Amino acid sequence: MKVLVANRGEIACRVLRTLREMDVPSIAVFTEPDRDAPHVWLAGEAVGLGEPRAYLDIPRVLEAVRRTGATHVHPGYGFLSQSAPFARACRDAGVGFIGPSPEAMVALGDKRGARATAERIGVPVVPGASECDSVEAARAAAERVGWPILLKAVGGGGGKGMRLVHRAEDLPEAMEAARREAVAAFDDARMLVEKYVFPVRHVEVQILADGRDAVALGERECSLQRRYQKVIEEAPSPGIADSTRQGLFDSAERLARAVGYQNAGTVEFLVGPDGSHYFLEVNARLQVEHPVTELLTGMDLVRLQVEVARGAPLPARIAPRGHAIEARLNAEDPYAGFLPQAGKVLMLEWPQRPWVRIDSGIRAGSEVSTHYDPLLAKLIAWGPDRDAARRRLLEALRETTLLGVTTNQGFLSQILESGFFVAGETFTTTLEKHQWPDPPVPAEVSAAAKRALSVRAPSVAAEAAGAMEGAGSGGDRFSPWAGMGRFRMDA
Amino acid sequence: MSWIVFEHDGKPHRLAVVRTSVGVWVGWPGRAKFFVPERAAAVGARPLHDELRAPMTGRVLKVKVAAGACVRANQVLLILEAMKMEYQMQAPFDGTVAGVFCKEGDLVDLGQPLVKLAPADGGGSRT
Repeated sequence: MKVLVANRGEIACRVLRTLREMDVPSIAVFTEPDRDAPHVWLAGEAVGLGEPRAYLDIPRVLEAVRRTGATHVHPGYGFLSQSAPFARACRDAGVGFIGPSPEAMVALGDKRGARATAERIGVPVVPGASECDSVEAARAAAERVGWPILLKAVGGGGGKGMRLVHRAEDLPEAMEAARREAVAAFDDARMLVEKYVFPVRHVEVQILADGRDAVALGERECSLQRRYQKVIEEAPSPGIADSTRQGLFDSAERLARAVGYQNAGTVEFLVGPDGSHYFLEVNARLQVEHPVTELLTGMDLVRLQVEVARGAPLPARIAPRGHAIEARLNAEDPYAGFLPQAGKVLMLEWPQRPWVRIDSGIRAGSEVSTHYDPLLAKLIAWGPDRDAARRRLLEALRETTLLGVTTNQGFLSQILESGFFVAGETFTTTLEKHQWPDPPVPAEVSAAAKRALSVRAPSVAAEAAGAMEGAGSGGDRFSPWAGMGRFRMDA
Repeated sequence: MSWIVFEHDGKPHRLAVVRTSVGVWVGWPGRAKFFVPERAAAVGARPLHDELRAPMTGRVLKVKVAAGACVRANQVLLILEAMKMEYQMQAPFDGTVAGVFCKEGDLVDLGQPLVKLAPADGGGSRT
């Protein structure tokens, strides 16, 4: 067995690390901006694909597979992970795709197919209509189920190609924007309509399947989202009863069996205040937030993916232990409209404490570009109970130092400290309902910034040298700390 | 530069500091921020001037106003795209479009001026 990891960033690093532990030879692929990225150095071999978009280029990825003699491809998440044409091309080339079959992807990965399958086997779905490619069809569906509605790209995910529409007159513009986004991201302009239900929790079930049977490995609550991007994920869900949990597991396993699902996947549901659940969609791949389940079960989901792909039997359902919470550290400015940020990581220190896991795709010196997803790293804390995990994650965030790129670090702490989070009152609308003011900068920070800026700027060369070395060299003539009395370098 | 001990009001603070050619990054427990020389204010995308600057590197998808147009606060002036997500840039106040410095399809850099607005009250102040 030899596995090519067709991805980048933290997930490529995470998959490659497990492959090393398993002693499975691995291959990384990289694009021009990622030439020196951390994942490239974790693999036994690395193949350049070229331009920034090439992670989506099926022929080029397959050429890398052929050249290196890889027997399997691990697609990670995003990029080609839910591409039925790619899964099919792998099969045609005699290469094992570590994920579901193209048929299962079409039946479940595509939102339209998924709704139809769920309805057929009696798993409840959100009221709506599957075929709404025109404004007229969408309006008719909306008037039947009632406003507001969510307009969703059939091939979509991660909130791309999705719009919340409150009134009929806003529909034409929303449809135009959603279709444009959907075509750019998935090359698929098809749309469906779902009634916008609230308040609801977003609860998803991790499944593992072998084409015949399926097992639910626990749920994750991911209600805290903004613009449909998850921000904080945790397990167990703080807001569902055990009977609801069993119902979710049953629905998830039935859906997986109905389509002969293979390998790891996530079945997403909305859960209403009364505990009723509605099937949303299947993420036919490993998910960003999979470490939450790993910390709760002690399982390595990537190892299980590889073993299931090799024909190993499924594990049994496992009783979770304690509580785990994940925070997504993104290159974005939470106090300026969450706009994506770019830059060079000038300084980076991760927390080092027991029961905290860091899945990162960057290191000091990394260039963060806007070519790719803003996710830089995930911090995941485990605790014997929810509050212990919450406090641990807060401390881990306090001990994280990342300079050079603006991140949402402060915002993540604000959420974990907020009353609603402490109380477990987490719904899909919670984050956007609250105001998130930029907290005041501590006086000593403004004073230090002022002092640093009072000295002439360093030359570009000196800056580069200082930034790369982590600095602290006593003879730095540009240092604003030199000759400043009660002021010392902590080098 | 990396970690320094900075004394303020008689108390020592451990801060992470990296100076760049433009400004300085300061990190403290739980947070980091970039400061630039003028006012030593933190950089953000909030419009401090009449000029709306690109809050990120990306592509101009739509320009919805032209020079001379009257706009209301929160009206969408243009749509930017980065990482396949769309971002609407809105007018921070009521006013008149004094200039548009980009066109649809342009690639713009972080901080690049895109639109200039003249406030409706004619003065420079606003809340």
